[in-house]
Amino acid sequence: MAETTLEMFRCMMCGHEYQEQVPKGEDKERSCPKCRSNSIRHVKKRVSEKGS
Amino acid sequence: MTFSEVEEVAGYVGNFTVKIRKKARYVDPKLCNACGECAKVCPVAKPDEYQMGFSSRKAIYIPFPQAVPCSYILNMGDCLGNNPIACGKCSQVCEKLAIDYDDRDEIVTREVGAVIVAVGLDVYDPTEMDEYGYTRFDNVITSMEFERLICAGGPTGGHFVRPSDHQRPKRIGFIQCVGSRNPKIGRPYCSNICCMNTVKDTLLLADHYPDVENVVFYQDIRAFGKSFEDMFQRSKQAGTRYVRGLPGDVEEDPRTRNLRVTVENTTSGKLERHELEMLVLSVGVQPPKDLAKICGLLTLSKTSDGFLMESHPKLKPVDAPTRGVFFAGFCEAPKDIKDSVCQAGAAASRAGALLNAGQVHVEAITSRIDEAACKKCGLCAAVCPFGAILWKKGEVAVVVEAACAGCGSCGATCQFGAISMRHFTDDQLLAQVHAVLADRPQDKVFVFACNWCSYAGGDMAGISRMAYPSSNRVVRTMCSARVSEEMVLEAFRCGAPVVLVSGCHYADCHYINANRQTVKRVHRLWDTLEKAGVRPERLQLEWISAAEGQKFAKVMRQLEELRKTVTPEEIEHTRRALKAKPKKAAERAAVAIGG
Repeated sequence: MAETTLEMFRCMMCGHEYQEQVPKGEDKERSCPKCRSNSIRHVKKRVSEKGS
Repeated sequence: MTFSEVEEVAGYVGNFTVKIRKKARYVDPKLCNACGECAKVCPVAKPDEYQMGFSSRKAIYIPFPQAVPCSYILNMGDCLGNNPIACGKCSQVCEKLAIDYDDRDEIVTREVGAVIVAVGLDVYDPTEMDEYGYTRFDNVITSMEFERLICAGGPTGGHFVRPSDHQRPKRIGFIQCVGSRNPKIGRPYCSNICCMNTVKDTLLLADHYPDVENVVFYQDIRAFGKSFEDMFQRSKQAGTRYVRGLPGDVEEDPRTRNLRVTVENTTSGKLERHELEMLVLSVGVQPPKDLAKICGLLTLSKTSDGFLMESHPKLKPVDAPTRGVFFAGFCEAPKDIKDSVCQAGAAASRAGALLNAGQVHVEAITSRIDEAACKKCGLCAAVCPFGAILWKKGEVAVVVEAACAGCGSCGATCQFGAISMRHFTDDQLLAQVHAVLADRPQDKVFVFACNWCSYAGGDMAGISRMAYPSSNRVVRTMCSARVSEEMVLEAFRCGAPVVLVSGCHYADCHYINANRQTVKRVHRLWDTLEKAGVRPERLQLEWISAAEGQKFAKVMRQLEELRKTVTPEEIEHTRRALKAKPKKAAERAAVAIGG
């Protein structure tokens, strides 16, 4: 059971905001689900929960 | 040195110090003559890992027939106990007095000049893909289990029988790509060896048992090696039927224990039902689970599929990004025996050439520390992906030039101007910023592009004649991590409406993982800009590979649209807002160019 947190991201190219479950210590390239830009700003931590 | 594990690696190319844990065997290999009397009297029976659990072994055993040294080993976890001695039968019958219950792990230190990583692979465990019934039906086995059953040295002496009733099966099915080419389970890559392994298995079966019917369910048969196509054709000529399509579900007949497989044959477009007596899952391969530990020991990085990343996929395919470290075999990517042997030979040659040379030539782009300016904070050592900066608390940092690859991450991190990069100094880069933005800066999109990928991506867009706005001005750095916060802020101070920092994709970073520092730095810059009342969107970040000319052109078009939204008043406000805290580097640059 990897610990995940619900994180908020904002695309600095198109302004699209979205949330994503992020496993602890995850190291992955991010891209906007809408415009595919890599200018993704990690906005702030929301809720901590246990995920699978 | 067998039955040993590397615990620590320190140093750099030509001067590695390796600490190895030589595990306790509890049997002296110099005295043991492998007579086997100890195993005969051992009362413990455990599943034999080498035989995939189809037979048992004792607590004292030879792990596999070809083990070197050919000596017994006592698994103290399985032994009934040696403190106090609960059994001791093996010791009583050993005439050579080879058994030593007091044996302990030993730490051995070795000085080496080069390291070859050849840690092999793990086989995919298909329990999570239960639609094929691996956990429910005895007669569904993996290709590894098949190997043990058909092997003359296996638990059945090479007599192929099915596990449920020990009868020889007459109809055998093979399902390909179990745990390979499946993004849903995080394994999008082809495991490379499974197709030919199945072809070989069908030929073995046809040779041993001509009356056996084989059916192979596949997506593609990838028979691209020398003589592989010929082998595939021989398998078909021997009667093996190849059905293009993967079964959706497998059911078992509770009476006969036969397996019913339903599959859509995508060649004929028809639904086929097969009744098989045994089903073999052709399982894929995956990186060994302790590969992360190896990465930590040798400062290596992994590609997105979890295998080790080489220094350059075409020009340095056996070199690690860390100098003096080389790869051989599966740890770098799935490959067959022939390719593994080729790579091992290449790795040995590369290591031999390095050691015989006696000295290391490095490119003159390493970092240099000004001892007088160093504040001994150690930040540079923390961000160096190669571990090339030596630092102890309270001491000036020292660059090991033989290990430094010149990414510049340390130079961009140092807040005290104590680190400079040869040929990519702060002064040189800031001078380019000033020169580019000296005239009509409001019309320009300022781009920092890394040498290996993004700059080459721009080249690709150019040579492919892709149209994009001419407003961009590109400044090349070795790595996106070389771009300091000060450089970006200086570009905005000079009137840049939009700044792009661009580097290699995560999995392609040529400096192990230096571009993660870029992400952190850009996030800090977005915060800084926001606090100063500047639209953070004016700073963009993109990962563009050398092959992505199209993406480069697309990003340039997007940035040009963004540039048009930036007003002269906004640029003037940015200049004023960011001018409040001029940094030392910018001041030095201003002096350097007479500003």
